[in-house]
Amino acid sequence: MTTEPQREPPTRVSVVAGPLVGPVLRRVVGMLAARADLPLDRLDDAVLVADLIAARAPAHVTGDRVDVALEPGPRSLALRVGPLRAGGGEALIVDAAVPGVGNVIEQLADELTVSPEDSGEFLHVRLAYAATTA
Amino acid sequence: MSCFGPRRQTVGQVFRGDSRAVRRPTSVGTATLVTALNQDDSADEGSDSRASDVRLTLPARPENVAVVRHVLGAFAEALLLPDTVIEDMRLAVTEACTNVVRHAYADGEPGPVEILIRPVGDTLQVIVSDEGRGLRPSAASSGPGLGLPLIAALTHELEIEPAGNAGSRLRMSFLREQPLEPA
Repeated sequence: MTTEPQREPPTRVSVVAGPLVGPVLRRVVGMLAARADLPLDRLDDAVLVADLIAARAPAHVTGDRVDVALEPGPRSLALRVGPLRAGGGEALIVDAAVPGVGNVIEQLADELTVSPEDSGEFLHVRLAYAATTA
Repeated sequence: MSCFGPRRQTVGQVFRGDSRAVRRPTSVGTATLVTALNQDDSADEGSDSRASDVRLTLPARPENVAVVRHVLGAFAEALLLPDTVIEDMRLAVTEACTNVVRHAYADGEPGPVEILIRPVGDTLQVIVSDEGRGLRPSAASSGPGLGLPLIAALTHELEIEPAGNAGSRLRMSFLREQPLEPA
């Protein structure tokens, strides 16, 4: 009989919507992105996405807190933001548009999905780095 | 008196007061606290409606202790806490998290460590809890170790209690502004 290795509990950050969301989230994302061995430019991208989520998510959460679950993988970092109110996932993405630049989260994320769940909507963002061969 | 004096650490006990023995002279007396972060002066325990609390749940692994220290730094900077308070907080919380990493869970059995940071009145409260085996004498060490006495020396108030069905909870309070040293 073989036993499956136990899955590690995810990293979760929960901050009352307010001025602490940005400083806290960017630090956690930065450290986990570095540990996931993302190269510097992708680490920068991850922190930028974290800053945008911190700035825009408070308007779309169901309660008074911004909750983010983080899962570092091999050269990747996945974020799960929520619960968000109905339509909040799409609205958060739209809010991340910067005039003249476009939608920053859409441009930087390798995967970007919104999924409805019992407690509300969740925005899934995944940033990865895959080395390309010429 | 040494800061590692003969204080007994028992579950459910509250330590107050004589942590001043390890206080360094404070040079910050005019720290202005950010108003937006200080709306919470109520001290009711267990409330989720706090104005500026931060909850972190991490796998209890050594590398995550650094994440906690980093987040504490962000919180302290936002509150414009004096450097000496930040140093005490970082050291005490590092010790508490390290205890969880080392002792709370069996080898190879990952479990969470939860850190709640929140302002309560004129103190900053940090609660470190786990879902592990609870506090008990460690077979791996011959004595009580320095962890808990050090935490008690660095905090204004320390409370150790069982957490729910399993695990333990360390509730540490730090004065936001340290009292002036007597001339």
